[in-house]
Amino acid sequence: MAGASSSWSHALVQISPYTFSAIGIAISIGVSVLGAAWGIYITGSSLIGAAIKAPRITSKNLISIIFCEAVAIYGVIIAIILQTKLESVPSSKIYEPESLRAGYAIFASGIIVGFANLFCGLCVGIIGSSCALSDAQNSSLFVKILVIEIFGSVLGLFGVIVGIIMSAQVSWPSK
Amino acid sequence: MSTFSGDETAPFFGFLGAAAALVFSCMGAAYGTAKSGVGVASMGVMRPELVMKSIVPVVMAGVLGIYGLIIAVIISTGINPKAKSYYLFDGYAHLSSGLACGLAGLSAGMAIGIVGDAGVRLLRRKMKLVSIPILRRNKIPTFALHHDISQCPAAQAFVGMILILIFAEALALYGLIVGIILSSRAGQSRAD
Repeated sequence: MAGASSSWSHALVQISPYTFSAIGIAISIGVSVLGAAWGIYITGSSLIGAAIKAPRITSKNLISIIFCEAVAIYGVIIAIILQTKLESVPSSKIYEPESLRAGYAIFASGIIVGFANLFCGLCVGIIGSSCALSDAQNSSLFVKILVIEIFGSVLGLFGVIVGIIMSAQVSWPSK
Repeated sequence: MSTFSGDETAPFFGFLGAAAALVFSCMGAAYGTAKSGVGVASMGVMRPELVMKSIVPVVMAGVLGIYGLIIAVIISTGINPKAKSYYLFDGYAHLSSGLACGLAGLSAGMAIGIVGDAGVRLLRRKMKLVSIPILRRNKIPTFALHHDISQCPAAQAFVGMILILIFAEALALYGLIVGIILSSRAGQSRAD
């Protein structure tokens, strides 16, 4: 079927797969750390404020901060895995279908991990802040609200799982 | 130029479909978990014994993330040009499947969050005290005070909240069903 194409494809095929790979790796670490930082400052500010009247909550509620930090660590792990998948390919083969596909796979894997960790970090941060505030009122509530926080942190794991499955698709053409 | 088919760029759309499925479902699940979690914590300050009962909206929001995970894994294991040629048709089918599931999960998550937050805050009020006749060990009949949850109007509204949450969860299920149907269409563009 001659001429069956779309202008999207005409535009995309001009972009090197290394561009997509580099952007994907940068997004996976950058946006994950953004999510972790956002969650940490939401939890931390509430925790410090509540600890003025109830100093006993500080050491226990550091667990919420650690849940947010774990999200950043997921981003680091996936970024390191993705950058080991980068290989150099002779310039005659850069625009072959196989290497284009490898570039797209790294890009999508990076987006998945980055944005899943962003929303997970936000969620865990908001719940961690409520956990600190309710723990200051009644210490039996800490463990119960922590259960909700665990549900929230599972979302980052989903992103890591799909990111790793997708990074197994990366295969550059052999020299 | 006339023989350019664009099939080399089809994996871009396919992988982006898997990304859309997971990222938007995670957005919805995160919104639902966070919004209803704040309501549970706020209610739990007054009635700590009812916190475990109010975790229902959080669990329902978590399920949305699993729907997105299912579609993302189906799509990314379906992109295998070594086994079967991957045409632009398949790429667009996977993109639409991922967007369908993801955006439906996002909207369901927002609904579950807002309804869950409003619903669990109903339980703050104290339950009604009723006196019921009981028989003590020395066989002397007397009355005892008892928290009767069926007498509390807020408890009946809690059951209503559960029903609303089920309807909201059904929205994400519609997205999952359509996503599965669309991704099964990939690979059917040619007779070979």
